[in-house]
Amino acid sequence: MGAKIRQESHNNPCLAVAIGGLELKNPLMTASGTFGYGEEYAPFVALNRLGAVVVKGLSLEPRSGNPPPRIMETPSGMLNAVGLQNVGARAFIAEKLPFLRQYDVAVIANIFGETVEEYQRVAEILSGAKGIHGIEINISCPNVNKGGLAFGAHPDAAAEVTEKVRGETDLPLLVKLTPNVTDITEIALAVEAAGADAVSLINTLTGMSVDVELRRPHLANITGGLSGPAIRPIALRMVWQVVNAVKIPVIGIGGIMNANDALEFLITGARAVQIGTANFIRPAATMEILDGIVDYMIRHGIGDITELIGSLKTDPSGGDEDGGAC
Amino acid sequence: MSEKVSLLTARIIDNRRVAPAHFLMTVRLPLSFATPFPGQFVMIRNDECDGPLLARPLSVYGFQRQQDHAVMDLLYRVVGQGTSLFSRMIPGEELCFFGPLGKGFSIPTGVKKVLLVAGGVGVAPLIFLLHKRLLPADGKGIMETIFYLGARTAELLTGLERLCGFCDLKICTDDGSRGYHGPVTGLLKHDIGGFDAGDTVIYACGPKPMVRAMGNLLQDAPFHCQVSLEERMACGLGACLGCAVAVRTGEGKTDYRRVCQDGPVFDLRDIVFASPAGP
Repeated sequence: MGAKIRQESHNNPCLAVAIGGLELKNPLMTASGTFGYGEEYAPFVALNRLGAVVVKGLSLEPRSGNPPPRIMETPSGMLNAVGLQNVGARAFIAEKLPFLRQYDVAVIANIFGETVEEYQRVAEILSGAKGIHGIEINISCPNVNKGGLAFGAHPDAAAEVTEKVRGETDLPLLVKLTPNVTDITEIALAVEAAGADAVSLINTLTGMSVDVELRRPHLANITGGLSGPAIRPIALRMVWQVVNAVKIPVIGIGGIMNANDALEFLITGARAVQIGTANFIRPAATMEILDGIVDYMIRHGIGDITELIGSLKTDPSGGDEDGGAC
Repeated sequence: MSEKVSLLTARIIDNRRVAPAHFLMTVRLPLSFATPFPGQFVMIRNDECDGPLLARPLSVYGFQRQQDHAVMDLLYRVVGQGTSLFSRMIPGEELCFFGPLGKGFSIPTGVKKVLLVAGGVGVAPLIFLLHKRLLPADGKGIMETIFYLGARTAELLTGLERLCGFCDLKICTDDGSRGYHGPVTGLLKHDIGGFDAGDTVIYACGPKPMVRAMGNLLQDAPFHCQVSLEERMACGLGACLGCAVAVRTGEGKTDYRRVCQDGPVFDLRDIVFASPAGP
């Protein structure tokens, strides 16, 4: 990750953003669990063009995940209860990371543990590996019994995990927050105070769906995490709340399907965005979104994306601008 | 296996009902599209519509190269919103299309006899296998092929025009309206004693109860059997881990594999049936 030259030109806008010491060439990241280990999408996506790849959540030991059925489509979204199936941190370094090292893209390892100690061990192992540029702590998975959400739903627990992981790594530290709480800003403020460099939000909303013919839940796990466009307005509202509460960068996640959706988050104040479910639907979604953001910036004469970030107008007199290029 | 996966927009050439709730869609593809192996599938989605979000996996039913393009046949049953939307599409409309995906059937050496066992729309990949790998150009099989075709009723039997005259066809219907009265696995159970596991291979595709019945039927009969599985998928690329199937691994343990990437074709004996608690 060399230093990025900040170019300001109307035809070649600068997209570079900084997330707590992590210099990204653009604000587009892939959301954990939706992009495999990068390799799965290489036929469709120029990985070098991404701001960052956030890999599937890693635990200390391999996890086999939940029994099937694990997914179900719901209106404008999908439920999943994969249960953090992953190869484990060591196998990831040995078998998956070498592929990603070939690319000039920031690799962010999403980590998960059942105990605080496990989070610490995973962070320690990954911090020692060449080619990992950041750590994202997952304290928000709704599909596992232990860990995950148990840490993400309480400010004290969230702060403890963050502080302990902070002690294990000098890498930029992101904390991924759950929307399944009464007040997400409490959690965001707690992890900020505990040393997080950024917060990413939202993870999935807990949901459920039933096959009425069989009178059975569609998922073997009964409940699952809802993602996709269905959750986008909620995600955007929470990003707005958190942006107004914390000083560290906020990374917006939740049902971003196209450039317009990504721009909503950036304008609202997200320093970067993560693309999740859209990758499943259109494998080249990230590239389309990136091109769309550039088109928008050119159309609006914006030379640097930092001018756009947090530029939301909320003054009461507004609303009658023509919305076109200035 | 084909390594090259294309992501493109495909134009529908034909889309017609061939049986109640069963449709045959033909799409036009560029010549650059890799020739699919029997058992492989494609992911398709109507991008123009605000309907279902996820692409749907459909196994390849037929594929032919012509002078300046290729055509693919997809046989599908309307089971939900996604397939219902496909069934209403008309020639000229376009689909977001990617594939070919997954691991197809393989043919072991020394095989003299092939049994193809299809339930319902599971006939699609087996007919593609028959025409692509089991029949030589002159239409006379090198291997003796027996096709066990089952459906709920006679009118739900599909693919007959691609079967009659190409192989020994044994028809089964659940209601007895044509052929053997009972499930396809019932007739196979009756016949299985007449085959030699040493030179016979079985390929199967059908609904979950049929696959399970195959598992029970062949539990003590040492036939090599490959089965193509169906599971809900989000990505088809191995990333979402949604399409998990429990399999036995080398060390006598059980683990999940992805139907989309590690399959959809699996060795029947590797599949672990009914594991409510998971591995």
